[in-house]
Amino acid sequence: MKKRLLKKSGIAELVAKLAKRAGVFAPVDNEGNTLFQKVIDANSIAKQYVNSKDAPKGFFFPHSETLMRYKRTDKGMELEDDQVAQTKRILFGVRPCDARSFELLDLLFNQEKYSDTYFVSKRENTTVIVNACVEPISKNCFCTSLGLSPTGSAGADILMLDLGEEIFVEFITPKGEALLDCFGDMEPSATIDVQAVRERAATLVDASVPCREIKTTLDNIYEHPLWESIAQKCLACGTCTYLCPTCHCFDISDEVKGDDGARIRNWDSCMFPLFTKETSGHNPRSTQKARWRQRTMHKFKYFVDNFNEVLCVGCGRCVAYCPVNIDIREVVKSVAKI
Amino acid sequence: MESILRKTAKELLEGKKVDVVVGYTQGSVPLTMSPVFITNPDDAERLVFNALCSQNLAKYVHDVISQNRAAQKRLKPEERKKKVVGVVARGCTTRSLVLNLQEKQYTRDEIFIIGVPCAGYVDQKKLSAAVGGTEILDGSLTGGKVTVKTPAGEKSLVLAELLADNCLVCAYNNPIISDITIGEPAKPMNSANEFKKVEDFAALPLEERWSYFAKEMEKCIRCCACRNICPSCYCPECFAEQSMPQWVGVGADATDTQVFQLMRLFHMAGRCVDCGSCVSVCPMGVDLRMFLKKLDKDALDLFDARTGINEKDLPAFSVFKEREKNEEFLFEP
Repeated sequence: MKKRLLKKSGIAELVAKLAKRAGVFAPVDNEGNTLFQKVIDANSIAKQYVNSKDAPKGFFFPHSETLMRYKRTDKGMELEDDQVAQTKRILFGVRPCDARSFELLDLLFNQEKYSDTYFVSKRENTTVIVNACVEPISKNCFCTSLGLSPTGSAGADILMLDLGEEIFVEFITPKGEALLDCFGDMEPSATIDVQAVRERAATLVDASVPCREIKTTLDNIYEHPLWESIAQKCLACGTCTYLCPTCHCFDISDEVKGDDGARIRNWDSCMFPLFTKETSGHNPRSTQKARWRQRTMHKFKYFVDNFNEVLCVGCGRCVAYCPVNIDIREVVKSVAKI
Repeated sequence: MESILRKTAKELLEGKKVDVVVGYTQGSVPLTMSPVFITNPDDAERLVFNALCSQNLAKYVHDVISQNRAAQKRLKPEERKKKVVGVVARGCTTRSLVLNLQEKQYTRDEIFIIGVPCAGYVDQKKLSAAVGGTEILDGSLTGGKVTVKTPAGEKSLVLAELLADNCLVCAYNNPIISDITIGEPAKPMNSANEFKKVEDFAALPLEERWSYFAKEMEKCIRCCACRNICPSCYCPECFAEQSMPQWVGVGADATDTQVFQLMRLFHMAGRCVDCGSCVSVCPMGVDLRMFLKKLDKDALDLFDARTGINEKDLPAFSVFKEREKNEEFLFEP
């Protein structure tokens, strides 16, 4: 694996070089919200951030995406593929948990049998540069509970470790190596002990949430009073699922104006009453209780059944931003106690 | 005060005067309180009430009662049982309860109001800004101080400076109606300048006002937390979710978000109690209050109406008073 050492002062130059290669998107402070936005120089990148408020999954699986357009003409329907040529993008400063979420989304959107071209083409054209959490300070994160590391490289093309004065850079994939020249030519000396940095960081994250252990319990508690008790205070808003890096349910709708129409894929949320509502008006998950069970089961059971992975990366966004403080860690712990 | 609150809730549950008490309890995130439903008298110990309790619980009162009614829809009327909901209610919460009563959502005997005086609640966004947006590791509330532990160290903040904007100008911080009131009435807040911000905003040129609205709406992710926490938003099916006809698109078009919010805002005319819950639950920090407060002001100026301040009032839009100043709209719309 190729490695580089970058002076902190060299970041401005790095970002300028990267911006010449592709559109660079990084966490930016935007009126109190840290959001992934296009940057042209390093000054606009948030100086200190635990994580962005919006999960970068939106770069591959946008909130709303036109799949195709159609037009009614005298000769019949004219169809138009809305897939514009994908531009190259660089995501700069993604946190390891979010980078891991890309791998989980790949499992679903990029299967051998079913491959979602909209998702896959964006993934292929995007280089992910991860900023490892060497000082994980948030009380809400729990990536180690998922067997992940705050300095892990899962889903990353390039991994950056902040060592104070310098940044230790690892090039994980060929896609990452293609940007090698942007990072200068200083190779790190063998004396730099990143392993110690990594081990220390891992001890700072809450590893006590039994996310991977509750699957067998969930197999047997489809009917349980727990679901009602979780759902009671839930507002049925979509904050948790919309900010979640792994939630990926979508709904396809047609928007038609006169003879022109567009088929649009939008994020859906299992928290919404409209979720899985059928044309007849019947909804197999008509209560918030049933929808909360779906959310928990999907993350910690169904995805494990289908892909052998837990659909959570422990980023803590749903914990931090739930307006009524429904804490997924508490939910998991409650299940584990059954 | 909390000990009396817990004792009261316990007695109400033990005496079967109420089926459930909706209140607040300690949350799992530092300096956060969370809504709680107490049905077991022993759990009344979990109740808290302090300046970190932000949500307007009237929303849950409506939820519990309407769910109970829906569950008994197929029973004969004489077999149906009412569910009595006890609720920990500050001034704004009681205003919402009054509005729901006026709008005949439930009857007075279905609710038991445990009134609590209120000196305002903490705006989490102000709290976050006060510590420079860094992570809050721990915190406590004592007297008029909020002590916050951040990675940079401990910081002591003045509670009064962290209160939500709506609390600072609240004219109804004591319960409007209650079955039992706990604690001494709270001192009035400074409501003299209640509409100052709105008046200043309304004086701006149209383009500036619109661009402010458009900018705020750009932040919206359509999670609908604002609508869902709002006690005045209780339609069984929101227009935003109707598909035949579809009133608002669900795509990325900015106008769809604007239309959704505009329609919701206008449904609040004469029905907003300025509890600030929509603002406090918004994950993106959209300034909804500026527009709601304008409607609040209009209801007062044009219809002489204040939402939920008197049980005997009728909802603003279901009465016509002679002194209303806008009758000309009937002739010159």
